[in-house]
Order: sequence, then C-alpha cells, then structure tokens
Amino acid sequence: MTKRLTLPILLLCLAMLAAACSDSDSDPTTTAGGDTATTQAEGDTATTAGGGDETTTTQAETSEPVSVRAAITGDEDTLNPYTYVSGFPGWNLLMMQYDSLMQLDAAGEPQPWLAESVSANDDLTEYTVSLVDGVKWHDGTDLTIADAEFTFNYFIESATGRFSRDLRGVDSVTVNEAGELVFALAAPNPAFDLVALADIPILPMHVWESIENPGEATFDISTNVGSGPFKMTAYEQDQFYRFEAHSDYFRGAPSVDELVVVIFADDAGALAAIRSGEVDVGFDRISPEQIELLDAQDPLDIAQGPEFTTQMINIDVSKRPFDDLAVRQAVQLAIDGQDIVDTVYLGSATVGSPGWVHPGKTVYNPAVVPMHDVAAANALLDDAGYADSDGDGIREFDGNPMAFEYITNSSDSLRLRIAELTAEMLAAIGIQATVVSVETATWEEAVWPGFDIANGRNYEMATWGWSAPIQANTIRIAELVNSDPGIGFLNLTGFANDEADAISAALQVEADPAVAAEMISELQVLIAEQVPFIMLAYPDGAYVYNSEVYADWEFIAGQGIVSKVSLLPPSARP
Amino acid sequence: MSVDVRPAATAPSEPKERKRKAPRLANRLGILGGAMVASLLFMAIAAPWLAPYDPAERVGLPFQSPSSEHLLGTNDVGQDLLSELIFGARVSLTVGIVAAVVALILGTTVGVLAGYYPKRLGRILMQGVDVLLILPFLPLLIVLAAYLGRSLLNTIVVIGVLIWAGPSRVIRSQVLSLRSREYVLAARTMGAPDRWAILRHVLPRTALLATGAFVRAVSTAILLEAALSFLGLGDPLQKSWGSILFWAQARGAFLTPAWKWWVLPPGLMIMAASLGFALIAFAMEERINPRL
Repeated sequence: MTKRLTLPILLLCLAMLAAACSDSDSDPTTTAGGDTATTQAEGDTATTAGGGDETTTTQAETSEPVSVRAAITGDEDTLNPYTYVSGFPGWNLLMMQYDSLMQLDAAGEPQPWLAESVSANDDLTEYTVSLVDGVKWHDGTDLTIADAEFTFNYFIESATGRFSRDLRGVDSVTVNEAGELVFALAAPNPAFDLVALADIPILPMHVWESIENPGEATFDISTNVGSGPFKMTAYEQDQFYRFEAHSDYFRGAPSVDELVVVIFADDAGALAAIRSGEVDVGFDRISPEQIELLDAQDPLDIAQGPEFTTQMINIDVSKRPFDDLAVRQAVQLAIDGQDIVDTVYLGSATVGSPGWVHPGKTVYNPAVVPMHDVAAANALLDDAGYADSDGDGIREFDGNPMAFEYITNSSDSLRLRIAELTAEMLAAIGIQATVVSVETATWEEAVWPGFDIANGRNYEMATWGWSAPIQANTIRIAELVNSDPGIGFLNLTGFANDEADAISAALQVEADPAVAAEMISELQVLIAEQVPFIMLAYPDGAYVYNSEVYADWEFIAGQGIVSKVSLLPPSARP
Repeated sequence: MSVDVRPAATAPSEPKERKRKAPRLANRLGILGGAMVASLLFMAIAAPWLAPYDPAERVGLPFQSPSSEHLLGTNDVGQDLLSELIFGARVSLTVGIVAAVVALILGTTVGVLAGYYPKRLGRILMQGVDVLLILPFLPLLIVLAAYLGRSLLNTIVVIGVLIWAGPSRVIRSQVLSLRSREYVLAARTMGAPDRWAILRHVLPRTALLATGAFVRAVSTAILLEAALSFLGLGDPLQKSWGSILFWAQARGAFLTPAWKWWVLPPGLMIMAASLGFALIAFAMEERINPRL
C-alpha cells in the first residue's frame, strides 16, 4: 500500500519542486543533461582555441570571438543529409553545414546562392543554373559543377528521403557545354526553385561517391564535409553539437565564430536554461503564453514573425449533413477565428483566411476575408430546414440530432483548447460537437488512413493542421481540393466540385506565373464559398534570444530564425 | 458492526502510559481526517452555490493573476480557476470513491474466496494477486489508461482494477483465521453450505477490515486520478484537480509566477483529500486491525 502511495506523492512533489526552482531567475538550476553538455562544450573550446588557425587568431586580436549557445529539444543524430531526424530544426541545422543552389531571403522567396543565375525556359520544363566561383569545401578543396551534378543524380538514384522526393518528376540532370547545370523536367513545375533548388544540400563528390547505399550506411561526423558557413567539430549524442565558423565561406566569414547546440529533454528544461543565461537562444518555437514573460526579462528578446503552418477543422463533406453547402457555410460563419487567435494564441497568430492562403503571401486574394456572424449562420440552417423540433437545443437532420464526434490529438494541448472553443461556438447554432481527445496515431488513422486518401475517411469532425511547406508553395492549393486522388492527394475531407477540379488541374501545369496567380485567386474565392474545410488560424513563430550575446537574427517569413542567414553578416545575406 | 469488539480496545488493566497514548493520537488524527473529508465533500456537493462562476464558461481574459473578481485568477482560456477548483472536488472525489468501491468488491471477493478455499483456488488466486503486486505499478496504469482511451469511466475502471490486490491479501488472511473458528466449523459440520457460512459468519467479520481497506483505497485512488489526469491520460475536458494541473503544465504555469495560484491550490487539494482519507484509515486501522 505505502509503496504505491509514495509514487504519485513523489510525482506531485517533484512537479512542485520543479515549479519552485524555475521560478527564481537567479537560480541556475536546469536539467542535468543541459549542464553536462555546456561544461563539456566549454572544455572543448579551450582545447581547440590553443591550436586555432590563422583567421581565428586575427579575429581574436581585433574583437572577442562570438560564441552562441542554442537550445534544441531532441537529438538530431549526426546531422548529415541521411541521418538528420526532424524537418525542423533538423533540416535547418543540416543546412548550417551545407549550401543549396538557392537560399530563401527574409520574405521567404528563393534567391540564387551557390547559383550565379537560375533561368527557366518558357514552359517551365527546363531549368538552367550556373555556379558561382571560388566556393571551397570545409576540407579546402574546390566546389565544382561536377559536385552539383553528382549530388542531384545521387539523390535521384538513392530514391529515399526528402531530397529524393523533391526531385520527383526530374528526367535528367546534366552539364552543358557552357558548364551550366541543366534540369529537364517531365512536366512544367513553376515551384521547382522553391521545393528543390532551395531545399537540397550540395554534397562533395569526393566524400560521397564511395558511399553506395546511404540508406543503410553508418555515418560519423567525418562525413559532414559541406560548403556551408559552419562545420561540425563535435557531437555527443543527446548532449550537444559544436560548429565552428568556416572562415573561407564564399559569402564572407560568418559573424558568429562558434555555435554550440545543446540538446535538452523538453521545452521546460530549455526555457529554464535560457532564463538562467546558460544558453543564448532557443531554436524551438516558444508558446504564446511565454512571450510576454520572457520579453520582460533582460537581456532576453523575442523574434516574432509569420509562419505558414495552419490550424483548421476538417469535416467529412461526403456524408450527411455536411454534404449540404448550407450546413458547411453555417459552420464557417459560427466560428470566430479572432477569438481563437486572442484566446488560445494570445494574439500571436493570424486569423485564418477562409480561402486557405495566408494573407502575407503575394498571391493572397484580399477579397476573401474571415466572416463571423452567428445570426446569419442560424438563419442559413433555419432556411435549409434544419429545425430543433424537440427543443433540446440541438437541430435535427433526416430525423437525427446534429450531434457529432469531434476528434483531436491528445499530444497537442493548444489544439485541444481550439476544439473546446470551437465546439462551444457550434453549440450556439444548434450543432453539438463532442470533443474526444485520442492518441495522435488514432487521430491520423481516422482522418488520413494510411496517409493515402484512397483509403477513405473515418471521422465526422476533426481538428487538423498542415505543415508550413504546403502553405509556402501556394500551388499546392490544388492538392487540397481536387477530387482526383492523383492530383488532390491532400484532399482529406472528400470534397468534390467540378469548378474546383477544373481550375486546380489546370493550375498544376500552368507555366505563366501571372495566369497561375489568377487561378489561385479564383480558387480562394471558391474555397471560401464551398467550404471544403474550415480555416482557423496561422500561428506565428516566436523565438527567444539573449540580445547581449547575439542580436542579429533574421526572421525568414514562414521559416523562423534558425538558418545560416541569421549567423552571417548583413552584407552576406541574400 | 458491533460484533467486532476487540480485546485490545476494552482491556482496562494494561499499562496506561504506553498503550493509551497511541490510540488517543490516532483518534485525534482520525477526527482531523474526518473533518478534512467532510469539508471536501461539502465543497463537492455545494459546488454550484460556492463557486463564483460556471467553471466551463470563459468569464475573463486568459492568464489573469488573482484579483477581487477572480480570487485565483483565470486559466489559459479565461475560465475562473477558483470555480474549477471547487467543481474539481466532484470529479476527484467521485473517481476516488467509485474506484475504491470497484477495488473493494474485487478485493473482498477474491480475498474471501482465496481465504475460504485456501488449497487450490486460493493458491491460484493469490498467485494472480502476487503477479499484480509485482508488476511495476505506475507504468502499467499508464499503459492501460492510454490503451483504453480517455474517459471518466475508463479512469475509474483502470484505477479500480489495479488497486484491489493489496486489500484482497489483508482480507484473505483474516478469512483464513475465521474459517477455522469453532462456530464456522460447527456450522459446517452441521451441514451448512459454504455459501451460508461465508455470508453469515465470514463476510460480516471481515466487513470492518474491508471498510478500513476501502478508506485507504479512496486515498490511493484520488492520488492516482490526479497522476493520470496530470499526465493527460484522464479526460482533459473534465474539471478535476489533476486536469487543472495538466493544463498548468501544458501552458507553462510551472515556469511562471502563475504556479502560486494555478499549481499550488489543486496540489494542496489533492494532498488534503488524500491525506484526509489516509488519516481516517489510519485511525480505523488502529481500532480494527486484529491484534496478534
């Protein structure tokens, strides 16, 4: 008996202790893992600084070398193109060491980087890229067009992973007589620069040509030879990464000389370390309720900006009563996106546009604006004949009450709150949505069985959210609404509309950017009218940093601050 | 229950100093525990009149500090924390008591059967109990809760099913001794069926012991409900003390000054409820437990 009593008591005490400790700012207490990592990293600095090369010594004479310690949660393995773990911040840390042909600028638009110039033919089926001169790998050898050609063919042949997926639809990558890289595509792809050229790291042929099967090879950091502004010099699993500036960097030496990335077990540990000054920046987004609190503490500052993840409600529009446009429109009118932004995100989010596209995007159609009108929603339902005949506050359809199961994934507490609030809003128009919190796997399996819409759907209402790349590349709007699974493979709500099918199919192969933008505008109006899903909000990104150590963080729209651009002098940025 | 008059409680001739101090302390603690439980029960029953707001309604701005309008501030969506705390007593106490009833029924049944038929059935049952006692408890609870899904009923079932093993052992040992008493033997020799002997002679004499075990089980169950809800494995939309802590953790209150009004009060409530029942159980056991 006593034994089983002690466990929960212990848990409670620990929780209280943790709260008490982290409250006092002066207390440097943090997780043991974080502690060890920093100490070790500092130890390493001392030893390497003694044998530093010429550049480091000159810099040390003129000014203090800048060392930035960053916090992440979760290990990212050896951080090479085949081992990094997460899309964020794993890919971002990978790209500290590597360069791509193009690099996103602050507006989130790809600009030539390793490429001197990028040009496409008229129907967007052929891209030609010339390389800048004088780029050196970390080991001192020159980066040549052969490396670039090797990289793309290597990813195409290995056929696994994100970079191979980026290159689907590429028939061949060759070097022409003028020494330029030529990509021949099977079909027009207006977003090729964004999804492939700005995403794929260029690999050194002399390191990678001996690795036959990268999917199964084992790696250590000796493989991490890149051309990027930082080279990895140390890695301890679950503890830290250490990157040193690549002084021969082709855009100029980075403004940060050393980057130490400390791995924490959870957000709480990372935040405590930032507040106590043990690390200088958090590479994970901070939640809205922390923003004000952290900003109030000196010398901490917050970098905030738009990001392109979405929060939405999916409804199965193939089933009664959501197959009725009036019901969908009433649901959309009943939802108050501003309330969700204010209450759940404390203002640090953008209200969802009913036409899917983020208002910060250039192709956003300003005619599409969020509407909230409970009276109009009720009137719509009344007119369509959905009355509450038994007076229990819930309307009926075909003799059944309008009561639905509304599933959400338990691991995302903000989403759970969103579900709670939106269910409350729907109650005001006589629709009862019962929030059920389930395991993430169960929720995914219900909404998107097997991640293939050919398997159908198994839900009535569900919270949902798409990751940033789908919003970032606006042409992907077609994938959300087309009823042909080959094109609309993200159409999770069973939406089918002839007009939407026609426009989205044409959009996917449209070569003229102006015409494509026009089509995206039309689709936004159509989506807002037809309501295939209900848009709620686009949460903003917020990052905390110590402005005394390094303050020059660049917020890339839709991407955040974790990129090599943040650590380069302003003159070297795109 | 008057049947169970223990010699220890009535023996006046024993040395005063040592023997009388302990029961008096136990009594006082028992009364203290009773008062704590009584006031919590009152709070649960009178919640709609005591609470200043509907705990499910958003009545203020999110993340407010305590003020005269909201004595404990508001939570992450602007619900009144004091009202949540008061209504939370309902869920926490209900889960605690109902889960303990489940545990008591299971534990008594198994204990009596295993004690009355100690040879084959008893051995098998007790081996089952041993397995349950050996299994790492909290992980098992978490796995079961995660597997069954989040609802109030599942929380009750999971807790009830896992905490009966201890009481069943205590009851079994009592039954083992009871079954060899003269009156039970007499009844059996006169041809009374086992069922009659158990219901007429054995069960009533284990009732007090079972009550003690029950009160202790309530205390355990309240803590476990809080632990499960805190981990997000209860129903996060039910207003229990554990789920208040879950949201406090999810929205960073453990890291901000808000812990004083968001984390501490439900923590103290859980402690008070669990301690109250534990003290009653302690006092009862002082009186009930068989002296050897």
